[in-house]
Amino acid sequence: MDDDLKPLPVINDDNRDFWNGCRNHELRFQKCEQCGHVRWPASLICPVCFCRAFNWIVSEGRGRIYTFVVYHVAYHPGFQDDLPYVVAVVELTEGPRLLTNIAECPIDEISCDMPVEVTWRDVNKEISLPLFRPAVSV
Amino acid sequence: MGIKDKYAIVGIGYTPQGRLPGRTALGFHLEACANAIADAGLKKNDIDGLICYRVFPPASNEALVTPYLLAQHLGIAPDYMYEDANCSRSHLQNAIGALDAGFCNYVLLSYGHNAASSDSMTRMLTEMSPDDAPFGHFGALAGYALAARRAMHEFPTGPETWKHIAVGQRKWANLNPRATMFKRSMTFDDYDNAPPLVEPFRLFDACLTTDGGRAMIITSAERAHNLKNPPVYIMGIGQHNPSYDIKQATHATGPTGAQKAGKRAFNMAGISIADVDACEIYDCFTYTVEITLQDYGFFKPGEGKEWLQDGTIEPGGRMPVNTSGGLLSEAYFMGLTPISEAAMQLMGRCEERQLGPRTKTKSPEIILCSDNGAILQTHSAIILRR
Repeated sequence: MDDDLKPLPVINDDNRDFWNGCRNHELRFQKCEQCGHVRWPASLICPVCFCRAFNWIVSEGRGRIYTFVVYHVAYHPGFQDDLPYVVAVVELTEGPRLLTNIAECPIDEISCDMPVEVTWRDVNKEISLPLFRPAVSV
Repeated sequence: MGIKDKYAIVGIGYTPQGRLPGRTALGFHLEACANAIADAGLKKNDIDGLICYRVFPPASNEALVTPYLLAQHLGIAPDYMYEDANCSRSHLQNAIGALDAGFCNYVLLSYGHNAASSDSMTRMLTEMSPDDAPFGHFGALAGYALAARRAMHEFPTGPETWKHIAVGQRKWANLNPRATMFKRSMTFDDYDNAPPLVEPFRLFDACLTTDGGRAMIITSAERAHNLKNPPVYIMGIGQHNPSYDIKQATHATGPTGAQKAGKRAFNMAGISIADVDACEIYDCFTYTVEITLQDYGFFKPGEGKEWLQDGTIEPGGRMPVNTSGGLLSEAYFMGLTPISEAAMQLMGRCEERQLGPRTKTKSPEIILCSDNGAILQTHSAIILRR
């Protein structure tokens, strides 16, 4: 695995707080002050009730695999040495879904709805990526 | 809505297609447009509306093909112009809207790309999903694979269903000299033995990438009567855009946008699926065909394999689907692959693959088409008739 070749998250004014949280190994999401909806991707207004006021919450980092795929082709040279690798969508207990990788699990043991928990990959001093692994305890 | 049968497709423009290095996307647009104008029996100055399909990132040594660039090269100055920069599938609706509003009289709808030979697709894969790229997630194939995997969890489906689509469409391509896969047959074993790309998809679940272009012309029924081709009337059209991307979507296992879009189209046309003689379904991936037919109501969730088996969609089958070979086996021109094929079938211009006695299928009066974009985020259903 050659991390130097891999693309890094592109930080902007909407997602900066999320990635700052990741640097501290925290999954932060906006929770609507009015209706309580926890949203992702980060956004100016609540897509449920249009309220603009929100608080940041820290997710427990637990959820289930909604769906996953197994890459056998590297569409980017940074992932050539990882083949085959898994990309998954994980639904957190707080509601948001994250696109991520599944770590610490043989590919043939991965299934939809499998319980998972966050684990962190520190790419550099600024960036940590939230990955998920099979939940140790549910 | 009072637009049933008021507008018609009157001309189709083809280009050489396949792997054709040394040609620009603009060149394919131009050739397709010029051929569509000639096919309709029109002059270029008749064209007062111009709509282009989505702009991919251009090849790194080409300019973006915008409608005004295309108009300039066609030597026309349209009164109405539109281009979608994302992946929405509203072009025919926009064309009808512009015609019905009286903004213009003849809309030219164009697509051109050098996807197979330029670096455009690589640029799209690596530059257009910055949030997903750090996790190694790139492009539509993997996006649809995420949808398909979840579908496999929710109802009986998977490669055993999809292979009927891949093999069935290939049989149509084998009757179509224009098709990329014209001379390459496919068996179930070929499908099973194809290499995995992004599981659950393997090679033959994926559409082609194609150098080439396609264009069509839409005008009013009154104007269509005076032109050289038999008009193909737009009986019904409906659009629905669930919009949520695959990461947040719950619709990707159905009902997708096809269900509501289909209902709207059938309501407008005043018919039911029992009246449909054939389908031309946007088939970026095999699963897309399954979920679209399922959402239109041809079968219940998970019953696709049973419905598809025994050659339902093939030459000689009771519901032909994607009779050019489709995006999987003919060529990738976005929604213009299925819609132009439907128009050509209804005009009776399909030679060896012509629906009717020649292919032991029903002679088509009504064909149901779909166009679908992003990861099942946008859908148009279009019902065409002779």
